[in-house]
Amino acid sequence: MSPIEIGAVDRHHLSVARAPGFELTRRRSNRMIAGVAGGLADSLGVSDAYVRAAFITLGTVWGLGALVYLAIWLAAFDRVADRDVEPVGASRAMGLVIAFGGLMLLLGVIGWWPNPAVVLTAGALGFGTAFLADSSKPGPLAAIMDPTVDRPSRTRVIVGVVLLIGGLTVFTTTIGQVFEFGAVFLAIGLTGVGLVVAFGPWVRRLLIDLSEERNERVRQEERAEVAAHLHDSVLQTLALIQRSEDPARMAILARHQESELRDWLFGHAPLDGVDLVSTALKQAAARVEADFQTPVDVVTVGDLPVGERTKAVVAAAAEAMVNAAKHSGADRISLYQEVGEGVLEVFVTDQGKGFDESSVPIDRKGITESIRSRMEKAGGEVEIDSEPGEGTEVVLRLGL
Amino acid sequence: MSIKVYLVDDHRLFLAGVKSELAEEFQVVGTSRDVDTAIEEIRGYRPDVVLVDVHMPDGGGIAVVQRVAETTPDVKFLALSVSDQAEDVIAMIRAGARGYVTKTIEPEELSDAIRRVHAGDAVFSPRLAGFVLDAFAGAIPSDEDPELDQLTAREKDVLRLIARGFAYKQVARKLNISIKTVETHVSSVLRKLQLSNRHELARWASRRRIV
Repeated sequence: MSPIEIGAVDRHHLSVARAPGFELTRRRSNRMIAGVAGGLADSLGVSDAYVRAAFITLGTVWGLGALVYLAIWLAAFDRVADRDVEPVGASRAMGLVIAFGGLMLLLGVIGWWPNPAVVLTAGALGFGTAFLADSSKPGPLAAIMDPTVDRPSRTRVIVGVVLLIGGLTVFTTTIGQVFEFGAVFLAIGLTGVGLVVAFGPWVRRLLIDLSEERNERVRQEERAEVAAHLHDSVLQTLALIQRSEDPARMAILARHQESELRDWLFGHAPLDGVDLVSTALKQAAARVEADFQTPVDVVTVGDLPVGERTKAVVAAAAEAMVNAAKHSGADRISLYQEVGEGVLEVFVTDQGKGFDESSVPIDRKGITESIRSRMEKAGGEVEIDSEPGEGTEVVLRLGL
Repeated sequence: MSIKVYLVDDHRLFLAGVKSELAEEFQVVGTSRDVDTAIEEIRGYRPDVVLVDVHMPDGGGIAVVQRVAETTPDVKFLALSVSDQAEDVIAMIRAGARGYVTKTIEPEELSDAIRRVHAGDAVFSPRLAGFVLDAFAGAIPSDEDPELDQLTAREKDVLRLIARGFAYKQVARKLNISIKTVETHVSSVLRKLQLSNRHELARWASRRRIV
């Protein structure tokens, strides 16, 4: 067995089988506050709930429970992060026990021991709750709060009402006696338990119902929004398609609607108040698709907000797309935009018939000239790469 | 011996359409409309290439790719979807698909893609190429394996040309390299996409969705 394995086994042994020698510990996980009560429960081999009840009971004796808790916490404080259990050294534990005994004795001697009835009722309440909530047995407390209970059984109502009346009685008989904190706690405790026993399931179901109702309302609002949008866009387009005779036109309508629906469904809408170059290019492409019934595949990498100069690039790209749609004869156009280091590039590519720069018809030359002049004004450049039969690519480049 | 193809899609009409388109050239050994049947039949029929839809009930295409890969790793997957959302594309590729095409693809292009995937190459649509460039842009290499976290200059060149709409053949000519070399570059990008543990990939994909 390697040393590492021995270590692992030892640690396991430490945290689980600690039966013979008593060792005070503090838990690092599965804890309420600092894991003191849990650690103590592990050491004593009892359910956490009982130890917590003991701390609460002790707490009614002038906050002694809190003091002891704090003391154990401090004694078990070190900074080893990956340990699940914090051992308290034997001598420290012994010191704690002696100090605790001394403190109790001192309280007795000075006569500060509070009314034993208070301590007893607090103890009874604490341990009673602990018994109900004991996680090692099927939980009666959970059963009391079971929201699936439909109508109150007679016992439930009687027990609840008795507890409620008891609590209220103790409360009214002790009111005015300000120092009888214990009795007030008892009153509140009894009333609370009475209420829980009598109405627990309904309170819980009410809470569940409330949140379900809220969710349902949100769902309905969403559905209404979807319906409104589909009506405005998809249904309109479907109506247009039904009235259209031309298959190409139908295809364009469908394609256009598809991209719009996609943007809406998957939230590709531009940021609020900021127009992006990619969005502007997609819009330009959609216009070309609609006007010339030629699909444009738009791919964008990186992005920029639209400014004066980038606007010129978008306009030039739109002209290049129109040019390709009108003259290339290609059945689709590709538009690729990339924002690289200090440069915006847009490529408008088609696999159409291409052209020889020297034999360009005059109207087409006009368009390419207009693309050039736009880009030059914005401080960018244009490159046109075309050969007959090889398609055309227009490259727009703008330094940023 | 023609390539054995299996189709998974929950839309009956689409399934029928693709099947008839592919029937001439390929041997369509089976189709299914749900994830569990698909996994079972693919394990049994051992097709060469599986065309798989991304969005389906019970885990979708990603579940099919991952679970089949556990038992029958030699089956190759080509994702076919109406969605060209970044997170879908990246998730399918990272699950193990060797390519991703949208359902608007032309039949000839689809046949071409199937052959390419069968040959062990990767199929990148322009959109996927754009996603990859975007995801790897401005990459700060991680300490563990910087080679996996960055694209080489040549790989970027190839992806840019694919994103611009050029076919592999045209890419090869433009870069003065062979088609085989283009395929090698694309396969290498696919490997990086599948193996890179860059957090940026996931973060980038989710950011695109949120915008």
